Order: sequence, then C-alpha cells, then structure tokens
Amino acid sequence: MKLSRILVMAWESMKQRKLRTSLTTLGVVIGITAVIGLASLGEGFRLEIRERMQQGFELDVLTVIPGSLFAGWRTPFKESEINEVRGVANVSVVTPVIQIGNVTLLNERSGNMTKAFVATAVNFTEFSQIFTDRFSNFESNIDGPEDWNNNSMVIGYKVNHPNMTTEAFAEAGDNVTITVNVIRPPYVRNYNLTVVATLIERPTGGLTNFDYWVFVPLELGREIFHETYDFYGGHLMFVKVQNPEYSETVARNIENLFAQYQISILVPLTFIRQVDRILTVVQIFLMAIASISLLVAGIGIMNIMTVSVMERTREIGILKAIGAKSRTVLTLFLSEAVLIGVIGGLIGVLTGYGLSFGLAYALSGFMQPQHQQDTIFQTPETQRIAIRPAFSPGWTMIAFVFAVAVCIIFGLYPARKAAKLDPVEALRYE
Amino acid sequence: MVTILEVHDVKKSYRMGKLLVPALRGVSFNAEEGEFLTIFGPSGSGKSTLLHLIGCLDRPDEGEILIDGSDVLKLSDDKLAELRLTKIGFVFQFFNLLPRLSALRNVELPLTIAGVSERETSERAKEMLKLVGLEARMNHRPSELSGGEQQRVAMARALINNPKIVLADEPTGNLDTKTGWEIVQLMKKLNEEKGQTFVVVTHDPQIAETADRLIHLKDGLIEGIKEAPRGSSQ
Repeated sequence: MKLSRILVMAWESMKQRKLRTSLTTLGVVIGITAVIGLASLGEGFRLEIRERMQQGFELDVLTVIPGSLFAGWRTPFKESEINEVRGVANVSVVTPVIQIGNVTLLNERSGNMTKAFVATAVNFTEFSQIFTDRFSNFESNIDGPEDWNNNSMVIGYKVNHPNMTTEAFAEAGDNVTITVNVIRPPYVRNYNLTVVATLIERPTGGLTNFDYWVFVPLELGREIFHETYDFYGGHLMFVKVQNPEYSETVARNIENLFAQYQISILVPLTFIRQVDRILTVVQIFLMAIASISLLVAGIGIMNIMTVSVMERTREIGILKAIGAKSRTVLTLFLSEAVLIGVIGGLIGVLTGYGLSFGLAYALSGFMQPQHQQDTIFQTPETQRIAIRPAFSPGWTMIAFVFAVAVCIIFGLYPARKAAKLDPVEALRYE
Repeated sequence: MVTILEVHDVKKSYRMGKLLVPALRGVSFNAEEGEFLTIFGPSGSGKSTLLHLIGCLDRPDEGEILIDGSDVLKLSDDKLAELRLTKIGFVFQFFNLLPRLSALRNVELPLTIAGVSERETSERAKEMLKLVGLEARMNHRPSELSGGEQQRVAMARALINNPKIVLADEPTGNLDTKTGWEIVQLMKKLNEEKGQTFVVVTHDPQIAETADRLIHLKDGLIEGIKEAPRGSSQ
C-alpha cells in the first residue's frame, strides 16, 4: 500500500475523532511549547548575562596581583618585574597601579570636602590605552590623557557625587588638595592637584568600578610610597593582551615569570566561560524538566491509541481479511502518531515562540527594581534588564524531532498491538 | 476442469480455557474453477472455521490446504496476506464495511492496499458498483444504506481484485428472506458471468440447495456431499 494513501487514511481516521485527536495533539503542543519556550528564554537569558559581563569586564585586560588569597600577599611588584611582563608575547600594554588608601579631598574653589576610599596612582596615558572604553567617558575634558601631567587628577563619578547628590564636588579646572595619612612623619601630607576630568557614571559595576576611584599621577604614588614603605613599582598591574583569545596563554606565561613566588591573575575570559558553562548546565536542566511534559504527552498518545486499537479491532480484522499485511496495519497506526507529532510539533514551535516573547516581556517588566522611590536603587533606562528570547534553529529542530520521536516511540506499542491482531478474532470482536 | 481448491484431512481445534475444543476433525474436499459450492450445517458444525481456513485467515493444525496450487501451511503471514489480496474475496454476514468510508471507497480498499493507481482504482470500483446495481449510491456511507445494499457493496469489494475464490460467510444471515434471495441470485449471476469459484457457508437449507454441490458439515466432519445436476439450481 502506498505511503501517501496510508497517510490519507490515517488523516481521515483522525478527523473522525476530532475531539480526541485535538486533545492528544494538545499534549504534544504543550510539551513542545514548554521546551521551545524555556530553551529560547534560557538562551536569551544567557546572552543577556554574557553581554552584561562583557560590559563589566574588559575581556582583553588581565589583573595581576602579587601573592594570593591563600599563600598570603607579598610586597608590591618591582619596576624590573613590571618590565619583564612587558616583554611577554602578545601583550600590548602593561601598566602598574599604586593604591593610596583613605584620602580626603578639599576643593580650593568651593571649600567643599569629600573622602575617597582609594586614590589610585596611574600612568594616565597607559591607563587610558588599557581601559579605552571605561577610562574615556570624561566630562569637561581638558585635552587628552597624554597631555595631563604630574599635577593632574581625575575624579570618579560617585566620589564626585557623594550621597547621590546632583551637585558635583568638583569640576574640571578646580584645584583640589588631597590629604594622605602615612606611617612616617610627617604623618599627614597634602598635595595640590588640578582636576583635569571627571568620569561620568558607568552603567555597570564590574570588577574594578572606577566610580569610586580618584586617579592621581603614578609619580605621586611612587613618591609617597618610596619615602614611606621603601617601595617602587606597583601594587598591582593591568595587562592588556592583543586579543582576548590569548589571555589564558599570556596569563600562564606571566605566572611562569613569577615561578618562585605566587601571584594571582584574574582572567575575565576564564571567569566568563565558567559562568557560561554553569548557565548551559542550568539550561539543559530546564529543558530536561520541560521534556517531561513531552513524555507525558507521549503517554497520552499511547493511552489514546491503545483505546483506539481496541475500538477499531474489527476494522483491523476487515483490513487484514481483504489482504492488508501486518506491516500495513502497523504503518497505518504509526502514521496517526507521526501526524499528531508533526502537527503538534509545528503548532508547539509557534506557541513556544509566542510564549517566550510573552514571558520575556512579562519578566523584563517584573524584574526591574520595585522600590523606585529609593534613589539608591534607581536604574537608569540603559541599565534596565531586557531579556530577549533567542531562537536557535538547532534547538527548534531538536525539539521538533524529539516530539515526533516521542510520538513514534509511544505509538509503536499500540500500533504493534494492532498489527499483531489475529484476523479471525478481530473479525469476531464486537 | 481445473481444481482451484484442495482440502486434505484438515483438523483444527480451539482452546477454550484449559479445554481443547475440536472444530474440524478431518475434512477433505475439492472445488473446481467456476463451481458454486455451499457448506451447510447447524451452528457449531465448524463451517465458519473451515471458511476461515480456506480464506487463509487461520492455519489448520493438521492437514493440507492448496489454493491455486500453493500450500497454505508453508506460506508466511505476509504471503498469506498477499494470497488473500489477490486470490480471495470475502463476504461476511455482518457486511464488515468500514463505517467512515463511502461505498465507493470501501470497494476501492483492496486495490488501494494493492497499490493500484488512484485513477484505475476509482474506475474499477465504479464498474463493480454498477455490476451490483449500486452506482447511484456510491457516495453514501454504510450507515446510509440498507442491509441488502451494504451486502452488495461488500460483494463488489470481494470481487474487485478479480479473485479466484469468493468466500461468503452466511451472506444472507442478516437480511430478510426477500433481500437474502436477491443476494443469492446476484452471487449466482456473478458466478456465471465471471466464472469465479464461490464457497458459501449457510445454515439455510433453501439457499444451500441452490449450489452445484452441497457439503453437509456436522460436528466437524463431512456428513455428505450432494451434487446437483448442472442447471437444476436455477
């Protein structure tokens, strides 16, 4: 018997039992909807997280810290060590950073005072080369970092706007005296600097949030520490690699340079990959749960088809009596299962897409901070969480094939039962 | 005369619970091409069992059945299905039409199963329905047809594949006497026109008597075979 005719017969027999067929198909639709919805939503969620992490971490910047959390912190890097790192292959820029704790700032123009947790002494030129994106959103720009000198300073957004005030502590051009406490006399030292730039607020925090930083010239930091701690070089260094792909190799090579004592290197790529892997596991877990609904749909098909085979026993007997082979009967019943799978699968793919758009829309609205009156939690528009479902044709295909496969597997038992019926008994069946 | 059907010492028992019930206890007969044969006997005599065995729906426990030369016992299930499709046509007491298909589609069914092209199938089915006098009602479903009409459709379906043997199991059992006679007349007519062998199972002695040869079955054994002189049945 030709397959096309078998399919027509299967379709006719399904039409005969409209309610039953639609309910069985509905099971498949719900299963596929759940799988597609969760897959595309999960994928969108992952992309959103990945994007946010890339905003927070420069993928091509490694942070090298002397010592480690477990082996203990060692003395800062020497100038010679920093130069050695500059020589590592695929490294484009290396810049040391000296951190000066707890400074007080006095604006000579307005007489305002403010505090900063940390003043970071940097080479402005190198620093802006490394953080091209983040160390560039200046307000009131006076020339560029290359033109700044040993009397320049840059103020981070949150230092400049203490307690979320709208009025800035200082503007470019103001003279600011910074007061530093050190452990050798004179214990309190004052330095006069000119504000060359203030940073605008960053959308996301990330590893190093410059909003809380005050940047002073590297030479100033060295001057303070050379006199006080017999130190010259950097508390830590930022290493920019030519391409994020090299970051892990470069990190390994830097580690080898410091073989005799431990250092810590933060490699954003490794971290992001790890998070990505975790998200993949979560996604697979979600899909596995969603697949259960498909299995339930499969059992529904088996149940309905078993009943159907019983009801149609006589019909099967007639078909066999007039010459249908067991295989033909098997194909006939299996075709019904396949048709349910294909139709349910197609509808399910569409409703799955619809569901994920709906859920994404609802979640995006729901996930915004609820206490808008607390200014501290207020989220600027650019920072709003927006999950866009991501549809992968691959996942869609897999889900669709899975649905049809579930239908075939669960349809096989009743179809075989039908095919194996003894024609004499089937004809006698009332 | 060509022998189309040979039955040699066929035995068949059915298991009912722990009990083995013999239905046929050694039956032998032959049928010639174009012969109109009736198997007559009371209910429980084994006539339906015999018909199922001849119709390749079941296999005998012992003995031999040859249909157009092929030994039924030696054929696989698929080969038996093929034999049913090409050489045997069935007519049942309860018509056994597929309720959701029109008369035409029911008649087409054997050709559809055989994989004949849609156009040829449709043409031949219409021709068959015309032959049984039902061309006007071919688009009706079985539920919209009378018993006699349904049996005519069943007959068209049995004959569409041009089988060697047509087997009828109490074809008039579910019809009133008048309609039953019409069906018998139709069978006789087709038998004469198409030259196919008819084996008709009945418990109605009047119908049994119309045959060329009457096989009287009782308790699973042939009690007697009665030959009618050719032409006397009309």
